[in-house]
Amino acid sequence: MPGLKYTQNTVMQYLLQPDAGARESLAELVVDQGNVSLETRMGIYANAYRIRLKEVIETDHEQLCFYLGDELFERMADEFIAASPSQNRSLRGFCEPLPEFLAEDEFFSQYPILADIARFERRLLTAFDAADTNREEFAALAALPPEQWPAVCLRFHPSVQLFRCASNAVETWQALKQGLEVPGADYSGWRYWLIWRGRSRLTEFISLQPWQLVLVEAVIAGENFAGLCELMLDFFDESQAPAQVFESLKAWFEMGLIRSLVVSD
Amino acid sequence: MTDKIEREFLGFGLGLRTKHFEYILQHQPDIDWFEILSENYMVAGGKPRYYLQAISEQYPLVMHGVSLSIGSADPLDMDYLRALKTLANDVEPKWISDHICWTGIHGINSHDLLPLPYTMETVRHVAERISRVQDFLGRQILMENVSSYLSYQDSEMDEWTFVSEVAKASDSLILLDINNVYVSARNHGFEPMDYLNRIDPARVQQFHLAGHSDYGDYVIDTHDHDVPDSVWDLYRQALVRFGAVSTMIERDANIPEFPVLEAELGIARDIATQVLSPNQLSIADLARNRGVKSCLA
Repeated sequence: MPGLKYTQNTVMQYLLQPDAGARESLAELVVDQGNVSLETRMGIYANAYRIRLKEVIETDHEQLCFYLGDELFERMADEFIAASPSQNRSLRGFCEPLPEFLAEDEFFSQYPILADIARFERRLLTAFDAADTNREEFAALAALPPEQWPAVCLRFHPSVQLFRCASNAVETWQALKQGLEVPGADYSGWRYWLIWRGRSRLTEFISLQPWQLVLVEAVIAGENFAGLCELMLDFFDESQAPAQVFESLKAWFEMGLIRSLVVSD
Repeated sequence: MTDKIEREFLGFGLGLRTKHFEYILQHQPDIDWFEILSENYMVAGGKPRYYLQAISEQYPLVMHGVSLSIGSADPLDMDYLRALKTLANDVEPKWISDHICWTGIHGINSHDLLPLPYTMETVRHVAERISRVQDFLGRQILMENVSSYLSYQDSEMDEWTFVSEVAKASDSLILLDINNVYVSARNHGFEPMDYLNRIDPARVQQFHLAGHSDYGDYVIDTHDHDVPDSVWDLYRQALVRFGAVSTMIERDANIPEFPVLEAELGIARDIATQVLSPNQLSIADLARNRGVKSCLA
């Protein structure tokens, strides 16, 4: 008797790579039941394995799949499924390694925008599932005594994420999503985006100017209001910097980005 | 015999699907309970958890998992079990179920409900693991029979004997999938009633109904069609044998609008009303008083 572990190993090897050797090994363990061939019986499992994983790629990376078109999608899906057997208990984690695969694969890495679109779509999924917390209103900041403002720090909602890429991946994603003409790949410079899940539980994103990126990164790093104003001196003069910070913070509250306020020591 | 069995009867339910979240909250349809796919809600927050919370305030829920991999030769995934327990603490389900199968080995997940060889070695292996899961969760769990397309040469018993032995050895309950019994009967050439007649009614806590794809020589469990007459017929016979068992319809692909599924569930209600006495179905009437804890619970 082959034992449970051997049987499961043999089945799994067949699912992962249903070549002649794997088929033969599995056939030795399986009963020939007459009217339906062993090939058909085993093939049901092998087909289901691939169909299920392809459906996950299509669902989680819908715009990437549109961008690739049918033929290249099939190629990408087949190669990714072969290269990255699922190590997640949930199908929602199956495509986690997809951006890395696209960035490193000899063929697909020729088109860096593909990995960027995949990374962007994964960030959207992360924002979709992020933890729920309260969102602070601007009134809470406005109510603080003026002497406490320099020491105040903001905490972002858990869904807030930064996304940066050196291609027009997000603009391309938007065009695909809206059914508009898809722009050609553009690698002319870095682009920055802020992603979060809004109060209505919809995932939203906006582009960031370089000064806004610095501001967001500083908030994430725990910088207080005074520190934020100082950082803005690299972009604005002394009279404008505090106003820029103030207006940005006010907008963030309205967008539901702020979880809480902390007054630093 | 079935009248003497003490089992909680929730009535007639449906699988909770994303597509129907908004409809359920807006229309509060007359469904007795919902079954959730546990893994879909093992996330920190967002839309699924929001709707789950809102729906759980109005309907009894049960949790149904696909990742326990109870028959795997790999060690039990304690991270998964911890996440399952955390979710159960949040959801407070009437019960928790998974499948008598394996889904992966060496840390690789096939995401399929793969059949086990029906041997005493496997019975002992699976039963011991179910016992550990029940100890960890602090409750009895339900284990479902899966549909299958192949049999192993080293199997020593019929599937129904295997399922019964596992339940007995682990003191777990059975989620009897009527469609899976039908699908496997067609694929392996046995009489479905032979299966039902050898399952201990005292172990059966829930029924699944679903549709499948019929390819003539074989049948694939696709959950993308209406429940066919062949499965309704078997359901009727299952009710005769097992009595009032909480029944739900699973639909995972080609999902229709909610009222279509609601109407299909009405067929299950009608059949149960024809087969069972009002006395047997009376607990379901109480369970339908959503939001009110049944005194019989």
